[in-house]
Amino acid sequence: MCQNPNEAKLNPSHFEGSNEEQQTAQEVEGGFASYIQGMKFFDPHVHMTSRTTDDYQALADAGVVAIIEPAFWLGQPRTGLASFKDYFASLVGWERFRSSQFGIKHYCTIGLNSREANNEALAEEVMDILPLFLQKEGVVGVGEIGFDDQTAAEEKYYRAQLELAKEMGLPVQVHTPHRDKKKGTERSMAIALEHGLAPHMVVIDHNNEETVKSVLDQGFYAAFTIYPFTKMGNERMVEIVKQYGSERIMVNSAADWGISDPLAIPKTAALMKIKGISAVDIQKVTYQNALDSFAQSGQINEKDFIHGLEIDQSLKFNGNTVLRGGQAPRVDKNSIFIR
Amino acid sequence: MNTAELIFQSITTLTSPAEIAWIEEKLPADAKGISLAFVMVPRIIAKHSIENELSIITGWNWKNATLDQLVRVYFLIHLAEKEDGKSRIETLFDTAEMNELVALYRALPVLKTPEIWVQRATDAVRSNMGPVFDAIAFGNPYPQIYFSDLAWNQLVLKCIFNDKPIHLIEGLDKRANQALANTLADFAHERWAAGRRVPSQVWRLIRNFQTESIEQDVARLSKSEDANDRKAAELIINNSPLEAWKALEQAEPIYTA
Repeated sequence: MCQNPNEAKLNPSHFEGSNEEQQTAQEVEGGFASYIQGMKFFDPHVHMTSRTTDDYQALADAGVVAIIEPAFWLGQPRTGLASFKDYFASLVGWERFRSSQFGIKHYCTIGLNSREANNEALAEEVMDILPLFLQKEGVVGVGEIGFDDQTAAEEKYYRAQLELAKEMGLPVQVHTPHRDKKKGTERSMAIALEHGLAPHMVVIDHNNEETVKSVLDQGFYAAFTIYPFTKMGNERMVEIVKQYGSERIMVNSAADWGISDPLAIPKTAALMKIKGISAVDIQKVTYQNALDSFAQSGQINEKDFIHGLEIDQSLKFNGNTVLRGGQAPRVDKNSIFIR
Repeated sequence: MNTAELIFQSITTLTSPAEIAWIEEKLPADAKGISLAFVMVPRIIAKHSIENELSIITGWNWKNATLDQLVRVYFLIHLAEKEDGKSRIETLFDTAEMNELVALYRALPVLKTPEIWVQRATDAVRSNMGPVFDAIAFGNPYPQIYFSDLAWNQLVLKCIFNDKPIHLIEGLDKRANQALANTLADFAHERWAAGRRVPSQVWRLIRNFQTESIEQDVARLSKSEDANDRKAAELIINNSPLEAWKALEQAEPIYTA
């Protein structure tokens, strides 16, 4: 890992930029916002359930206009179907509303995550209710599904959910494992192809330098998670785009309850700009490719968010323009007064 | 014509032949099929805004709502008639996304045996999702007809607490009561203590009841810097008719802040 700048010299990465770039990157640390003026971002993987409203405010301020929240593991296993049902319902209900208060369009993907696929009795029950949620408005795919420990049960439910995605014409968001990643990624792709999914309907997530080439060569979308320590750093990400271009590549934050950064996309865009990546390529990897891939669900209409969140007519009543528990008033965080 | 027929008639004037064909194709389905059709509505039915008021039942307001909501309500009426209709509708509530919740709560007054949904309806009053609260609170005759005084008072209080306009609640003045007047007076005092205001029109719910502090409250309103508050005091002192209070509905600064 070369994410610690103090270690960079001892351990030079082949992705390291020039000294000048390094210097700029350090200077810009606190002021990335000035490099991304006017840019709009789409984060196709962020777990807002685990974040505070302050994060929503920060996302809105940084130009994030739409997000996708994949269903995932909550940090400890659920013990009953009702917990899953309420979680899925919160992704299409409360979280969607919370996001709209900050002018951000919230979509989600629904699925049984790999870890909890290992509780087979419960997994069977969850599979039963998935179709109901997958039909809902604003559900843009099956996700995040795939392998964790790469057990037989994980494979069984990965396959079953691929079939579900195919049947419903929905894109798939594939989580690739932290451990034994390269093999797990290859296996995930091979199984998807075996089930007859078109590679352009599958987003392979959490890529790194070792997996990206094969993912792109086989025609899949390649997502990169900019996440401190355990996944990609954004300096490495810039080098990936320099090497592979912007076709079918997207970045996400996967921000959750871990030490993560919901502003990973705007920060990466700023770094790309500083390091001379073209505006077109930045737009593709931080917005357009995420939009294009998940819009294949037929559930995303760019008009709904590109010029700010238009008020959904069904949210209005009687043409009344009263804020419907709506846009939260801004709070000045630096003020000593709380009113 | 019964309610379902009236709704269908409105739908036919607002949809395309293809949309109508889809609705008619789904309608004979069993309870499970109708549940699924309810979920799928936005994939088929355009979200056109309903421009004119529909006359279906009294106090059920559809102007500026969207067509997909009306179609969903139409499916729910049929679903409620089925043998396992109630449990199917319970499942729809339990798994609903936000727009589905709005349609479900909008549908309550026209479902078979509406009174069985009172407990559900109070969940919408507890909701922090703005559109869900609005679906039960505004332009919906359900609370007026089926809520207990306790549930009714909670609805009105929560509406005021969330700075939403009470005049959109159906039956607002008819169901004014002493307990609500007492609670609202206390609420106004709390707001004043915090240096904030209550909408001036709130006093229309207090004027016909004797609260402990009414004289002091009117005196305070009379001396307010706010013209709407002074107007409210004047209306109370003159025992003005309800019509006169309408002037304070749109003028309220809280509603446009």
